[in-house]
Amino acid sequence: MNVLVNKMIDAKGLACPMPIVKTKKAIEEIQPGQVLEVQATDKGSVADIQGWAKNTGHQYLGTVEENGVFRHYLRKADPHEVKEETKYPHTITNEELQTRIENGNDLVILDVREPAEYAFGHIPSAISISMGELDSRLSELKPTDEIYVICRTGNRSDLACQLLDEKGFKNVKNVLPGMTQWMGSIEKIQ
Amino acid sequence: MKTKVAIIASNGGLFDAYKVFNIATAAAATDAEVAIFFTFEGLNLIHKQAFQQLPMPVGKEHYVEGFQSANVPAIPELAEMAKEMGVKMIACQMTMDVMHIPKEQLINGIDVGGAVTFLDFSKDANTTLTF
Repeated sequence: MNVLVNKMIDAKGLACPMPIVKTKKAIEEIQPGQVLEVQATDKGSVADIQGWAKNTGHQYLGTVEENGVFRHYLRKADPHEVKEETKYPHTITNEELQTRIENGNDLVILDVREPAEYAFGHIPSAISISMGELDSRLSELKPTDEIYVICRTGNRSDLACQLLDEKGFKNVKNVLPGMTQWMGSIEKIQ
Repeated sequence: MKTKVAIIASNGGLFDAYKVFNIATAAAATDAEVAIFFTFEGLNLIHKQAFQQLPMPVGKEHYVEGFQSANVPAIPELAEMAKEMGVKMIACQMTMDVMHIPKEQLINGIDVGGAVTFLDFSKDANTTLTF
């Protein structure tokens, strides 16, 4: 599995607590919303990274193991993300979207989270274009399509809806509350 | 509010040192506020000479190899790391006096204080540990 990250650190061969100590230092060097990859061989790091994320408020995305090397993915918390109000008026609930998918409708679902978040679980037919890239990749979308925009908690997707609206996409819906509470089927990149 | 971790280090062996510094650095890396009170033989853990070669427990010397192969950092490195991450280290004045250890023999950047200095920190700590 190849995941796009903003920073990668190598903690291979290091014992506890070094992977955590290095993770802490590295997360301070990236911007909120960015993704960090931590490579480690310490088996304890699998549980430790999750505990670390839970206690520091950063988002644990997942771990991939390959030949004894663990690649942990973390997204730096963005304090604004929780507070921002949703402003884009056209929304749809997770449940409504799930029903429409299950009824076999051919829908355009746009997932605006970071590629690493997408990789660890997304709605099967969803397209991945992160919020940061959206402006430069608009040509991949059709302004006439009905587009369902989703992110983790509904804030980035709200901004994405506003951007699309400005650019002439008039049939856009923000999916709320977003992937954190998605009960429908999920696909992962292998 | 930040999680507070209060640790008492009262033993001076190599195993004791790892227990103290691993927990302390891991907690500091997880954004906790950490203080260690070094008392009695625990002072060895921050003693400029002694912490270079802390003793293994008798009969456990064969673990030396394990420490090497697990690539565990040396105690002076861990102590430095703990300091860098803001772990507050308090050397016990009373035991320094009893054991004739002047502050100059201990690593730089530590505080010297009495029992109340530690108690003041630990009174509202979320976790208190003794090693």
